[in-house]
Amino acid sequence: MRRLAGALGPPMAVVGAVLLGWQLGVWSLRPPPYLVPGPVDITRAFLSDAPRLLAAMGRTGLAAAAGFGLAALAGSALGSLLAASRFLQRGVYPLASLLQMVPLVALAPLLVIWFGYGGRATVASACIVALFPVLASTLDGLRSVDPGLKEMFALYRARRAARFWKLGLPSAAPSIFTGLRVAAGLSVIGAVVGEFVSGFGGEHAPLGIVILAALRESRTDLVFAAVGLSAVVGFLLFGVVSSLAWLALRNWHPSAL
Amino acid sequence: MTSIRLLLVLGSVPFFALSVRAGEPDRVRIQLDWVPEPEFGGIYAAQARGEFRKENLEVEVLKGSAGVATPQLVANGQVEFGIVAAEQLLAVRERGGALVAVYAVFQKNPLSLMVHAENPAHTLEEVWRGKGPVAVEPGQAFVRFLSTRYGGTPRLVPYQGALATFEADPTLAQQCYASAEPVELERRGQKVKVFPVADSGFDPYNGVVAVNGRYLAEHGDLVHRFVLALRRGWQAYLAEPTAFDPGIAALNPAMSREAMDLAAVKQQPFIESDFTRRHGLGTMDPKRWAELGRQLKDLGALKDEPDAAKVFTNP
Repeated sequence: MRRLAGALGPPMAVVGAVLLGWQLGVWSLRPPPYLVPGPVDITRAFLSDAPRLLAAMGRTGLAAAAGFGLAALAGSALGSLLAASRFLQRGVYPLASLLQMVPLVALAPLLVIWFGYGGRATVASACIVALFPVLASTLDGLRSVDPGLKEMFALYRARRAARFWKLGLPSAAPSIFTGLRVAAGLSVIGAVVGEFVSGFGGEHAPLGIVILAALRESRTDLVFAAVGLSAVVGFLLFGVVSSLAWLALRNWHPSAL
Repeated sequence: MTSIRLLLVLGSVPFFALSVRAGEPDRVRIQLDWVPEPEFGGIYAAQARGEFRKENLEVEVLKGSAGVATPQLVANGQVEFGIVAAEQLLAVRERGGALVAVYAVFQKNPLSLMVHAENPAHTLEEVWRGKGPVAVEPGQAFVRFLSTRYGGTPRLVPYQGALATFEADPTLAQQCYASAEPVELERRGQKVKVFPVADSGFDPYNGVVAVNGRYLAEHGDLVHRFVLALRRGWQAYLAEPTAFDPGIAALNPAMSREAMDLAAVKQQPFIESDFTRRHGLGTMDPKRWAELGRQLKDLGALKDEPDAAKVFTNP
């Protein structure tokens, strides 16, 4: 409990101070609500439409989690494959790095044509942006295994599978978890951008559509509320990855001790 | 000698006034809410014919795109003029943005839903209650209106401003301007059916030129000159659109010049009406603004009915 309070205390204090300063600024400078709403206005907008916003958050959260899960599986598998072959590494890695250079906003309309409207295009969008960090961190981790340990495994004539599962993967785990943490946040961005072009409107609207509709209606308070909820989704995914990292590394790696 | 000096001084006053008026022009910017198309033909015609220059104005036209926040840009003073929809103007006003309408291009709203020719729907209601998805810009007020008027829960998907998704899905109904996208599609050999939303009873002004209220109070004369030049531009464009379409087509390669020529003809009945023939192009009727305010209040899009007299002026 003490440890949890110690971890949450500083960020909560900073967030509280920022919100207080923001609200005081709004009270004293009185900008029009369409321009900059205060935290009180944003909270009011959230409370007046909470069931719809929470349902939207659930839809976006599911799409982001699915996209992240796919990216985690595909990224770590592909990274492992590339680490095993210099030829594949040289041939595929530059192409894979294109994933982070292609502007997702330009690609997103094509995803609708390929996958149709709704969840599949959103999941694909989340997966595309989350894939590269996982792939790169997996590859980096597997290439950075201690040469002394490698020699020892070779000396004992360990098989390829044993070298991967007992040496490569544990050594690369801290690096892979770092990539997964980055990917967790990116997957939410990917999901929201995907929803901009593929999300259903009306009663089934996810956060991306809520944001677009609120922008057109000049409901800046609602935009901030929806953006805040998408950040909550990102924090939740980040928290899950961090918990898994702690469980996996707590007994031996300095980053989790 | 003194009287001669006095005569010289008095005689120079008109020249001085002229030199001020003909000197440095007033520089203003107008933010469009979409890419250059015939729906902005009057603005480009006024530029090409030097109508703005005649009013001592130098006007920079800023191209728009899907989702550009024109009302907020004008309300926040980032640009002097902007093209907005009437319901957007009322929404920003309710949230503290001092927008005022000074000219309305479209007296009948050309915003429509289009479907492929083979779609079985024969009316707007049948499109709305049909089985296919409906692509609309999220937050469009007409969605609330049609949902209330016709009921049903269509599968709403986001409108992206492109024709590719419409062409790829034969079941899709998509938001459009009656005078724009259907023309381009028909030119490509695709037949479509078009249902104007205005026919349902929801007909806000569109292509509304908005200014910031403070700017209007401080630069009333400039706004008046802008509207005069714009009206002459629209008169010239409506009389001979083909003279100006090549210039607009050069700014927007996605729409062919032929499609622009056709669109210009199709949009004419949306721009000219008995009211504009009596009062002049772009002139607005307070009853229309009051009606829109009532409709938006009833739909829950506005908390309070706005004072129609304050939201617009016919300079």
